[in-house]
Amino acid sequence: MKPQTINFRSKASQTMGDEEVQQAIEHVYTGFFKGRLVAAADTPDWEELRTKGKAIKDHTIAHLDYYLGLLADNVEKNGGSVFFAEDAEEARKHIIDLAHARNIKTVIKSKSMVSEEMALAESLNDEGIETVETDLGEYIIQLANETPYHLIAPAVHKSRKEVAELLDDDFKEGDRVPDATELTMMAREKLRGVFERADMSVTGVNFAVAESGSIALVTNEGNGRMSTTVPRVHVAVMGMEKIIPSIQDLSTMLRILIRSATGQRISTYVTMVNGARKPDEEEGPEEFHLVIMNNGRQKLLADPQMRESLNCIRCGACLNACPVYRKVGGHAYGWVYPGPIGAIVTPVMTGLKDASNLPAASSLCGACHDACPVKINIPRMLLELRYRSAEGSTDSAERTSSASERFVWKSWRIGMMGRKRFDYGAKLARLILRPLARNGWLRKSPPPISGWTSTRDFPLIAAGSLRSRLAKRRKKAKS
Amino acid sequence: MPENPSNPTIPDRVTLFASCMVDQLAPAVGESTVDVLEHLGVTVDFLDDQTCCGQPAFNSGFRSEAFPVATRFIEIFEKVEGPIVVPSGSCAAMVRNFYGDLFRDDERMIGRARNVGDRLYELTEFISSFFGTDAVVGQLSDDATYHKCCHLLREIGIDEQPIEMLSNIDGLNLTPLERDDVCCGFGGAFSVKMPDISSAILDEKLDYIESTGAKTVVAADTGCVYQMQGGLRRRGSDVQVVHIAEILAMSIRNASGAGAKR
Amino acid sequence: MTDRAKFIASVTSSLGRSEVLSPSEEAADASTAVFENADTAKANADRAMSDASERSDTLTAQMAAMAATNGWKVHRAGNPEDAADLIASICEQKGAKSVLRSNHDVLSQIGVDSAVTNTGATLGVTEHDGENSEANIQDAKSAAFTADIGITGVDYAIAETGTVVLHPRSGLSRLVSLAPPTHIAVLRSGEVLDSLDELFAMERNDYLSGDLAGSMNLISGPSKTADIEGTTVTGIHGPLEVHLIILENG
Repeated sequence: MKPQTINFRSKASQTMGDEEVQQAIEHVYTGFFKGRLVAAADTPDWEELRTKGKAIKDHTIAHLDYYLGLLADNVEKNGGSVFFAEDAEEARKHIIDLAHARNIKTVIKSKSMVSEEMALAESLNDEGIETVETDLGEYIIQLANETPYHLIAPAVHKSRKEVAELLDDDFKEGDRVPDATELTMMAREKLRGVFERADMSVTGVNFAVAESGSIALVTNEGNGRMSTTVPRVHVAVMGMEKIIPSIQDLSTMLRILIRSATGQRISTYVTMVNGARKPDEEEGPEEFHLVIMNNGRQKLLADPQMRESLNCIRCGACLNACPVYRKVGGHAYGWVYPGPIGAIVTPVMTGLKDASNLPAASSLCGACHDACPVKINIPRMLLELRYRSAEGSTDSAERTSSASERFVWKSWRIGMMGRKRFDYGAKLARLILRPLARNGWLRKSPPPISGWTSTRDFPLIAAGSLRSRLAKRRKKAKS
Repeated sequence: MPENPSNPTIPDRVTLFASCMVDQLAPAVGESTVDVLEHLGVTVDFLDDQTCCGQPAFNSGFRSEAFPVATRFIEIFEKVEGPIVVPSGSCAAMVRNFYGDLFRDDERMIGRARNVGDRLYELTEFISSFFGTDAVVGQLSDDATYHKCCHLLREIGIDEQPIEMLSNIDGLNLTPLERDDVCCGFGGAFSVKMPDISSAILDEKLDYIESTGAKTVVAADTGCVYQMQGGLRRRGSDVQVVHIAEILAMSIRNASGAGAKR
Repeated sequence: MTDRAKFIASVTSSLGRSEVLSPSEEAADASTAVFENADTAKANADRAMSDASERSDTLTAQMAAMAATNGWKVHRAGNPEDAADLIASICEQKGAKSVLRSNHDVLSQIGVDSAVTNTGATLGVTEHDGENSEANIQDAKSAAFTADIGITGVDYAIAETGTVVLHPRSGLSRLVSLAPPTHIAVLRSGEVLDSLDELFAMERNDYLSGDLAGSMNLISGPSKTADIEGTTVTGIHGPLEVHLIILENG
C-alpha cells in the first residue's frame, strides 16, 4: 500500500467534520476500550501477565535472527514451505506466482494487516484470480474499495446504512435499513459459496511459534478456520516480528492479546496450525506456505530507540485509548497501521519526511502506554521521532521543521536562560497583548499562538510574576 | 521516582518550583501553593532565578534548545537541599521521567538530574504522601467536578488522591466527571500546532463537564486549566476552571474566617 | 547466499552482531518456556492431567458456567443414553434432515447413531477411508456444507475460558464443527483442564514427544462478529448455535 501520510491534516479535518463517522468511531471506546478495562479487572494477575508478555517479546526480538531460523526449520520439518520476503513487492510476487503455478481460481482471505502492506487482494484480483475478503469488516471495506480503519474492526467507521448499500443488493435509498443481524446473514449467504469453492487461502498470523513451527490464529467469525481447512493451498503471511519462542508462551500471549483487543477472555476460535494436512487426514490444505516479510521492519530493529515497537501484537488497544485516533479516524494515518502504533512505525517504515505529522498529532497523554498489553512506551518514541523531525535526524531530508519554528524555539531558549529577560519578555508580551484582551482574556492572538485563539480564549500574561509577588510578600512579612 | 516511605519524616521546609506558566500566566496558583504549604506548617523558599524546566522545546523535538534550559534548571535547584514542590504534574514528569532521555548522552547530567528529580514532588503528591489526603481541611460551598490531568495520572501516578483532598472541603459538592481520565487535548505546543484536533478532543471533554452541572472544574495542571477555561469561555459558559491549589487555598481561608477571595 | 541466509544475516546485523547468537538460558527474566526441557514439559502435562481428574467435579462446574456465559447451550447427561437422547431432541428441535458426526470414540460410546437416525435424519460419519482422492475430499466438503447439524467429541475442555479443544487427528475432521449451522460437542467429565496454561503444557509435551497434531481448534462459543456498528451478531461463518453435552461419569 502506498503511503499517503502527507495528507494527514486534511484527512483528519475531513473525519472530524463527519458527524456520522464520529458517532461510529465511538464504538472503539464504549465497546473495545471499556471491554478491556472490564477484562483486566476480571483477571487477578493482569499486571504480571503484561510484564511476562513484555519479557517474552523483548527476548524474542533480541534474538530474532535465531528464532527466525528455528521457525523456518520447524515449518519445513512439518512439511511446509517458507519464503523470506525482503519487501511487499517480493511477497506479493511470490504469492501471485504460487497462485498461478497451482492453477488457483479463487482465493479467500482471512484478516491480515501484513497483506495490506502488499495490497494483496487488489493485486490478485488484477491478475484475474477471484480474491474475496472473508472477515466481515474486511469484506465490507473490500466492497467499498477502502483500506482498514482499525486493526481489529476494519469497517468501524461505516454506518449500518452504508453497510446496507454495500451488502444488500435490494437496498434502495428510502428503504428501511436492515438491522445488523439481517446484514450479517446476507454476508454469510454471499460468502458461503466462496468458502466452498476456494482453492487457496491467505491468512495472517497472530503468533508464530518458533519451537514447533506452528502458527496461531485468533478469530471470532470462523473465517480463519475456513481458511485453514477448506482450500488445498494455505498461505500464511506474517511480519518477521510476530514470533514467540514456545508453545507454552501462547497461554500468556493469547490472554493479553484477546482481552486487550476486545475484552473477551478468549476469542470464539483459536486455531493452531502445524503444517499441512497429515497423510491420515481427509481435510485440510495439502500445502502450507509461510511468507515472512521484512518490508522495513529491519529499520525498526536496527534502531535502538524504536526497536520496542516490534513487540506489538497488533491488538488495537492503543487505538481505542487514543483521544486523537478517535477524532481523526484510521484513514488519516495514511498507511496500514493507524493510531499510536501507526504513528511510530509508519514514519520509520515508510519515511519520516512525509509522515512527520503522525508523531506530532499527539497530546502525549500516555493512554496508549497504559493500554498496551506488552507495555510499549509509545510516548517516548513519539518524542524521539519529533526530535528527529525537528533537528535530530542525520538525514537532512527528514529534518522538516520550518525556519520560523526553529526561530521560535531559539527565541524561547534565549528568553528562558536568564531571570531578568524572562521577566522583561513577559512584561513586553503583556504590553503588546493587553489591547487585545477583555477581562484578562484574549479572543485573538498573534503567531505563534494564534492557533489557540481560533477556538479558545487565551489568558493574558499576569501583571507581575510570581517572583515579584512573593518578593512583595517577603517584604511585607519583614515590615 | 521519589520515595514515599510509609513513615516519612514530615518535611518542614521545601523549595517551590513554580513552572514557567504559573510564574508568568497564573501567579495566583503559585501564591495559593505557598498558602497551602504554609498552612501545613511548611516553610516555602523560592529561588528567584528559576524560569523553566525545558519541557516545551523538548516536546516539540528541539532538544538542543531544551538542553541548556534544563541544565540551568538543574544548576539552580541542585544548590538547595530538601524537597522541591511544583504545582504541575507535567513539569514534575519532565524532570523525573524525561530528563533521562534529554541528557541521555551525558552520564553526569543524568546523575545530577536524578539528584534533583528524586526529591521533586508534584503538589498533591507531596501533600498526600507526607501529610495525608485529609490534612487540608477547608470550607467552600460550590458544585465542582475534577479532571484527571494526564501526566499527573500516568507519569506521576496520582489518581484519586486529589479527589479525596477535595472531598475534605466542607460544603464542596463533588460530582464525578464521566471520562475524567481522558485527555483534555492540551498537550503543550500540540494545542497550538494542531488546534483543530486539540479542540475536537476538548469539545468532548467540555460536553462531559457541562453534563455534570458543576459550576467549577478542578484540575492540577495550569495548561489543562487554560485549555478547558479557554474553551468554556469561547462557548459562552459560566463554568469556572480552577487549579487545585487555588481551591484548597480558598477553602483554608474560608475555614479560618478570612473570607472567600477569588 | 540463499534468500533465507541473506534475510537472517541482515536481521543479525540489525541487532548489532556479526553472527547469530543462541539465546542463553540465563537470559535475564526471559519469561519464555522455550528453555524448559522435555522432562519438565512432561511433568507439567502430567500435572495438568491429574489435576483434571482430581478436581473433575469443580472444573466441570466451572466449565459449564463459563461455557454458558459464552453462549454455549449447556446440557448435563448422567449416562450415555441420556446424552444420546439429548442429541436426538436437539435434532428434532432443529428439524434436522442431515446430520454429520466425527469419528470420536465418545460418540460410538453413547450410541448416537441410532438416536439420530430414529429422528428421521440421515447420519454421516467423517472417517478417513484410506483414500485422499479428489472425489473423496469434495464429498467430505459437500457433506459438511450441507449438513444441518455437526456432532463431535472433544479432546479437552478449558474451564478458564469455556472452551472445547479439538484435535483433528486421524479420522476426525474439522469442517463438521464449523460448517453446519448447529454444532453439538460431547464432553466427558474428567476432560476439563483448569486453564490455557494446562492446555499448552499438554500441547508442548505432545510436541516434544513427537506427537503434535496437525492442527488444533479451540472453540469457545457460537461464531460471532461485531463488525457492523459494534453490534454483536451470532453465526457469521461458523455455527449460530452450539450445544455442549457434558457426560458425567464418562
